[in-house]
Amino acid sequence: MLKGMFKKNSPVVDAGIVQEYDGRKKKPEVPSGLWIKCSECNHSFYKKDIEAAMMVCPSCGNHFRMSSTDRLRLIADEGTFDEWDKKLSSVNPLEYPGYADKIKKLEEETGISEAIITGQAKIGGIDSVLGVMDSRFLMGSMGSVVGEKVTRAFERATEKKLPVILFTASGGARMQEGIFSLMQMAKTSAAIARHNEAGLLYITVLTDPTTGGVTASFAMLGDIIISEPGTLIGFAGPRVIEQTIRQKLPAGFQRAEFLLDHGFVDMIVERKDMKQTLSKLLSVHVSSSWTSQDELSIVERMKNTMTNAIENTINTVNTVMGGGNNG
Amino acid sequence: MMFKKILIANRGEIAVRIIRACREMGIQTVAVYSEMDKDALHAQLADEAVCIGPAPSKSSYLNMNNIISATILTHAEAIHPGFGFLSENARFAEMCKECGITFIGPDPEMINLMGNKSVAKQTMNKAGVPTIPGSDGAVETVQEALKLADGMGYPVMIKASAGGGGRGMRLVWNKEELPKLFDSAKSEAKAAFGDDTMYMEKFLENPRHIEFQIIGDEFGNVVHLGERDCSLQRRNQKVLEESPSPIMTEDLRKKMGEAAVKAAKAIKYKSAGTIEFLLDKHNNFFFMEMNTRIQVEHPVTELVTGIDLIAEQIKVAAGQKIEFKQNEIHVSGHAIECRINAEKPSENFRPSPGKITSLHLPGGYGVRLDTAVYQGYTIPPTYDSMIAKLIVHGKTRTEAIARMKRALGEFVIEGIDSNIEFQMELMDDKNFVEGNFDTQYINKLLNIR
Repeated sequence: MLKGMFKKNSPVVDAGIVQEYDGRKKKPEVPSGLWIKCSECNHSFYKKDIEAAMMVCPSCGNHFRMSSTDRLRLIADEGTFDEWDKKLSSVNPLEYPGYADKIKKLEEETGISEAIITGQAKIGGIDSVLGVMDSRFLMGSMGSVVGEKVTRAFERATEKKLPVILFTASGGARMQEGIFSLMQMAKTSAAIARHNEAGLLYITVLTDPTTGGVTASFAMLGDIIISEPGTLIGFAGPRVIEQTIRQKLPAGFQRAEFLLDHGFVDMIVERKDMKQTLSKLLSVHVSSSWTSQDELSIVERMKNTMTNAIENTINTVNTVMGGGNNG
Repeated sequence: MMFKKILIANRGEIAVRIIRACREMGIQTVAVYSEMDKDALHAQLADEAVCIGPAPSKSSYLNMNNIISATILTHAEAIHPGFGFLSENARFAEMCKECGITFIGPDPEMINLMGNKSVAKQTMNKAGVPTIPGSDGAVETVQEALKLADGMGYPVMIKASAGGGGRGMRLVWNKEELPKLFDSAKSEAKAAFGDDTMYMEKFLENPRHIEFQIIGDEFGNVVHLGERDCSLQRRNQKVLEESPSPIMTEDLRKKMGEAAVKAAKAIKYKSAGTIEFLLDKHNNFFFMEMNTRIQVEHPVTELVTGIDLIAEQIKVAAGQKIEFKQNEIHVSGHAIECRINAEKPSENFRPSPGKITSLHLPGGYGVRLDTAVYQGYTIPPTYDSMIAKLIVHGKTRTEAIARMKRALGEFVIEGIDSNIEFQMELMDDKNFVEGNFDTQYINKLLNIR
């Protein structure tokens, strides 16, 4: 009822006010990337809030894609990660136009030199070889560098008798390197086979998206295959499949939950539980693989367990008999 | 430099108050409003108004994303958060900074520092500001408890760490009864919460809530503007505030004021803020908490000091120096503020939203009314029930009380229930008139009735 009845100040100040902030003249503006929009529920969130929530949507639990560096921080015990083959970088074997520039630009933008980071780290105090792929780098595609890094990681793990954990995120083989990319599937698989023959543990964690040549090689070769919720996992994409088989695909096709139901994935683990789950799996499997190094500690541990059990039994007997420990 | 345009991220009377200050300073204003508030006064009064979402606060007045977008779109340079909503949200302050928008308030670090009670207490202890004495963590044994209590002086309160609802809690008046009460509180806590970790705090008898208004600038100047007595509270909600406190002495004000300035300087505070103290009956005062924003009751300070706090807050945010020094601040006369709420006192103060069918506002010499209601306005049920602040100023407390009674008598609101009558009764209450009350006084008064 008071609409338009008040007298106001002189004409509205126009756009383009330039203010000085932190010594620089600039207009108020939202820097890009300040907010992240969830693709599932369409809510926007402040980037720092999302980062604090491990890149998981606070509203619907959707797991956003995560950079390899953030992932390392989440999984490896603080200060224990030792990166391997950092300097390995792509050449342009087919002289594919624009490829070298693209790589250079991505290196600058992301601060990483390839679509995977590998190295050794402690996870829950247990030495492991850790590899983390990064979808920001040419959609995590596997070229000769990714293949070589994975292969070397497995070879060293076999030598050092260490378990391997790989976080996969990839659109598949890198087309810019053609046949060289495809050969990486065989090479990595062979290295994994030798690691396996040595009786060592390999865990893969499939993160969004894991597809193409990576799915068809090292992603699916894990002794234990874990996935984050909602992850897209497949070889060819759903559209290609639909057009080829001329059938409508079922709902949730190629999502982690669908693959779990159909036996391709062993378990789905939320990001917040990932480190704990990995630590647990490692502790179970690594301590049971009987290496000479572990021998002593395991014998020691078994001794302790036995002693505790005996003490407990004595206590129980005492309580039941009404005696008690009057020491 | 001074801002050309400010967005006010709030509603109700405080939004109106800020718009008024801006208009007097020649600053353009942008109001934001929820769908429910499209007819609200602040949205009509501002130069521009932007709708920022549906009625629930979460989707509108707390929607940082939309508020920042509205600021950018209207080319405002600063955001005044008022009180409540986002005013003490460090994340929001940080976000403003990242976008090159001035948050009219302290830095996010200061908000964080004072927002965490135990960190705030530690900071103040370190700065030499007295805090309520208590045990540093758990008290394990009776011997330990006796020693501590001797140190802080009786009475003391023993509390269970896991406690609540008065269980595992004992008030101890002397050392003779301490051992027995300590043990019984401990076993009660064990039985009730499965945890008998105990701690101890000094118990303040009939404390008064005395707070000091301070203002600091980015050059490290801090000035206090005297105290407000906010002891009259119902369920921890302030009902009536006044300045000066009826029991304040020149000497005590100096001591408390110095402590308040020390507290603000300890965290390099800039902007308007309030240091809240509890004052026991022996005139010992203890830091309770700091509010890093403008407060509801700021007008009483304005009336007795003649300083426009909102204007000063804006100037300091724009990087200006405080123009006055401590010795230039004089408290003159007496101011009282009554909070007028849309509520029904006879039905346990239940909120009473609805349409105001008829309205007469008080006025005249020494009367100030800060409100956002008008005749025909519908008070939404969604937000706070405070609809107006009636503030009077007089040469003396007696004069102020008489003026408040006169003004309350002129205040007519029809269509909804209000606590005007309740405030009127308070003006006639013998203990109130004598200045004889503490933080529990209204609760006691209501229990008797």
